[in-house]
Amino acid sequence: MAIGRSVPMLDSVARVKGEVDYLVNLRLLNMLVGKIVRSQSPHAKLLKVDTTSALQVPGVVAILTGADLGASAFYGAAIKDQGVVAVDRVRYVGEPIAAIAAESLDAAEEAALLIDVEYEEMSSVFDAREAIQSGAPTLHEKYPNNVFIHSRLRHGDVEAAFAEADEIFEDTFTSPLAQQSSLEPHVTAARWDGEQLTVWAATQAPYMVRRVLSEIFGIEQNKIRVIVPSLGGAYGGKGHIRIEPLAAAMARKTNGRPVKFVLSRAEEFVTVTKHAASITLKTGVKRDGTFTARQVTIYWNGGAYADASPLLIPQGMVRSVGPYRIPAVHVDSIGVYTNLPPAGAYRGAMSSQTTWAYESQMDIIARRMGWDPLEFRLGNLFVSGDQFATGETLHDVHFVECLEEAAKAMNASSPLAPIPKMGQGKRGRGYGVMMKSTVSTSKSQARMKLDDDGTLTLFTSTVEMGQGAHTAMAQIAAEALGTAFEMVRVVGPDTEITPFDSTTSASRSTNMMGNAVLAASAAVKKKLIELAAPLLETPAEELRAENGKVLANEAFIPYAEILKRNGLNSLEESGEYSTASKLDPETGQGISTPHWHQGAGAVEVEVDTETGKITILRYTASSFAGRIVNPRMAQLQNDGNVIFGLGPTLMEEMMLDGGQVTNPNLADYPIPSIRDIPVELVSVCIESEEGELHGIGEMTLPPVAPAVANAIEDAVGVRIKDLPITAEKILQALKEKSQP
Amino acid sequence: MILSVNGSRYEVQAGTRTLVEVLRDDLNLVGTKEGCGVGMCGACTVLVDGKPLSGCLVLAEQVAGKEILTIEGLSQDESLHPVQQAFLEQGAFQCAYCTPGFVLTTIALLNEKPSPSDEEIREYLAGNLCRCGSYQNILQAVKSASATGVKHHT
Repeated sequence: MAIGRSVPMLDSVARVKGEVDYLVNLRLLNMLVGKIVRSQSPHAKLLKVDTTSALQVPGVVAILTGADLGASAFYGAAIKDQGVVAVDRVRYVGEPIAAIAAESLDAAEEAALLIDVEYEEMSSVFDAREAIQSGAPTLHEKYPNNVFIHSRLRHGDVEAAFAEADEIFEDTFTSPLAQQSSLEPHVTAARWDGEQLTVWAATQAPYMVRRVLSEIFGIEQNKIRVIVPSLGGAYGGKGHIRIEPLAAAMARKTNGRPVKFVLSRAEEFVTVTKHAASITLKTGVKRDGTFTARQVTIYWNGGAYADASPLLIPQGMVRSVGPYRIPAVHVDSIGVYTNLPPAGAYRGAMSSQTTWAYESQMDIIARRMGWDPLEFRLGNLFVSGDQFATGETLHDVHFVECLEEAAKAMNASSPLAPIPKMGQGKRGRGYGVMMKSTVSTSKSQARMKLDDDGTLTLFTSTVEMGQGAHTAMAQIAAEALGTAFEMVRVVGPDTEITPFDSTTSASRSTNMMGNAVLAASAAVKKKLIELAAPLLETPAEELRAENGKVLANEAFIPYAEILKRNGLNSLEESGEYSTASKLDPETGQGISTPHWHQGAGAVEVEVDTETGKITILRYTASSFAGRIVNPRMAQLQNDGNVIFGLGPTLMEEMMLDGGQVTNPNLADYPIPSIRDIPVELVSVCIESEEGELHGIGEMTLPPVAPAVANAIEDAVGVRIKDLPITAEKILQALKEKSQP
Repeated sequence: MILSVNGSRYEVQAGTRTLVEVLRDDLNLVGTKEGCGVGMCGACTVLVDGKPLSGCLVLAEQVAGKEILTIEGLSQDESLHPVQQAFLEQGAFQCAYCTPGFVLTTIALLNEKPSPSDEEIREYLAGNLCRCGSYQNILQAVKSASATGVKHHT
């Protein structure tokens, strides 16, 4: 059995030897260094971009500006509002205005200083709720009030349902701008050979990059090749189009010489961010412990360009309701332009912000009503067969098991030893549960080649970014085909070689690509049986393929021998898996997702009342995993999510001054280190009898922030509603609480 | 200037470039990564006379005459250094961009303190960041390497 084994990642040896071929290592013949010149203004007309002096710098080969671009040089997942570089206007500090291709970084940097940019400043706005006020500056004339998307969910009569409530709670929770901070930055190299374009991109979505480049440059997709080596982390930050169009446009001016762009850490902070969000929840409950209604209003700060937000904000709507039986639900999920860098997916996309809101409010309600927060949750959690606010019936949901397992593991453990502190240490416990949709409509294809020596090669456009997807796919292929794991190779992504896949994101690969691999395996087996039937002198329908052989009742033939005796050196087959779900755009009713992502967390914290310092004593993370492909990698996903989630919970916040990020480095923007991890961290994976393949890339992340906030209130009686939960905020809240 | 790396001596024109730039660009020792450029993430960690140092914070000039060890210097053939072996066995990485830095810092730790406590490990590795969050397994890998009790200095 290849599935269920904790095999090491396929290229583990390369990983511990530092030999993974990340794109930062790529060297091509005659390759030039790319450098981006960025806006220093948050909002301005571009009066002049003069490159005359910069072009004189020895070693500078070409400079790209808005003047080089055609009318099609704009992109965006649904709203094509973002230029490859700015044309006549800039809308955030850091927006690309020009790009330089040079023989050396020194030359490029010298030239960058000599590009003469003249701005005519315009007024700017940085907060989403300010941007929708009348009189606020407009970023894009087509959207005068800066609202570029407004997703609505309308289920039941909320006004009537609020009238039936015994108590109504209304709270607003905020999440600040944050940055994905993969240690490998965004990297892209591009080369034109006549009308053929090759792009090496650190992206999670090679086929999306190919399609968008085809639209921008007006060439057929088959003229574009996108190659993606292993990534040094992505976390959503590489999930959509980033610097690929700019790199390709730059390379168009260098007479066939390739150009490579590697962003600096500071540039990462102006390339993509987590959506800052303000979420107001109005929730009606009855004294019997049930809900009557919930109204959710979310303002997502999309930044200066819509980017992937028109895809993410409708998902955020679905993900904002929570995993509880609530008869009447209205949601308004609103995307707003501001003069900030464009926002995109940040691991646990949109769910991190929404779970922060609804799971924090669960404890606010429970405490005020005198209910136990755990019992209150367990009494209301969805079970299979319940109807969700979209009207869809829920299948295969395991929220109760997830929460119970997390709570059980934490509560069964004995108290931890005292930890060093300045003042009095107070301990508390908290919980969080998450319900998340995945990509509603997407497709994965896989191709397999079986050689006459038994080697199985899997061609897939799933991106390996550390999550272990290639290893998991090899395990699924080995098991499905009944061949040894050691005989499986994985190739891709390379759009010239590997078949279509929508994206490696939203925890979809194990499920979607996994099922495509199963389909391809079934096709290979069918072909093997057809080829073996004459050899075994048995009708195909009486044969079966397993353990590397095709078997009749008495006789069998190994796969490799079937190929040889048919004079074949190899055989290839493909498989595909697709899903399509759709919601009514006016009411949000319909089917939102092919399946639900489910996770929970239970945490014990200690708060030092003298310093406000928070110590995470123990954390139990549980996720619904369907069928676990690789237990150790599953545990790494669960653990990694908790640790990643502690960043936005306790420390991550991009600071701004006039639209300029003032902490664009890992000294002033801390991310969790080994000193920040819980003293005890336990991961639980829930499996189901059905044995469906599920993704688990984000399940345990969104519950972290509310679980910690809930534990803090349990410990010291203060409620923090604005992330991150810093020691300063705790101390301030304690001070306010002690002053009557 | 002469740079002594992994037991070999290299003539380099370093100018005002940092050690990590010279290692990667001139010597093609690309196992060392630059993650943040300000000495916070540890992806560029190398050992200089046995002590971990952020390659982005020193000019190559400053380490002339000193013995520099990079990840490439740990295993010249197919075999792995015991610390690399422990990281592999414990699955102590995901994207692995940070792994060379962690491996080298661990070697320095175990040379200084062959049997570190959990707290000492956390303290010593605090300057190496893993955004994927593999810290639990890294902790296990350090303890497992420590338990093998072999001489770690190469």
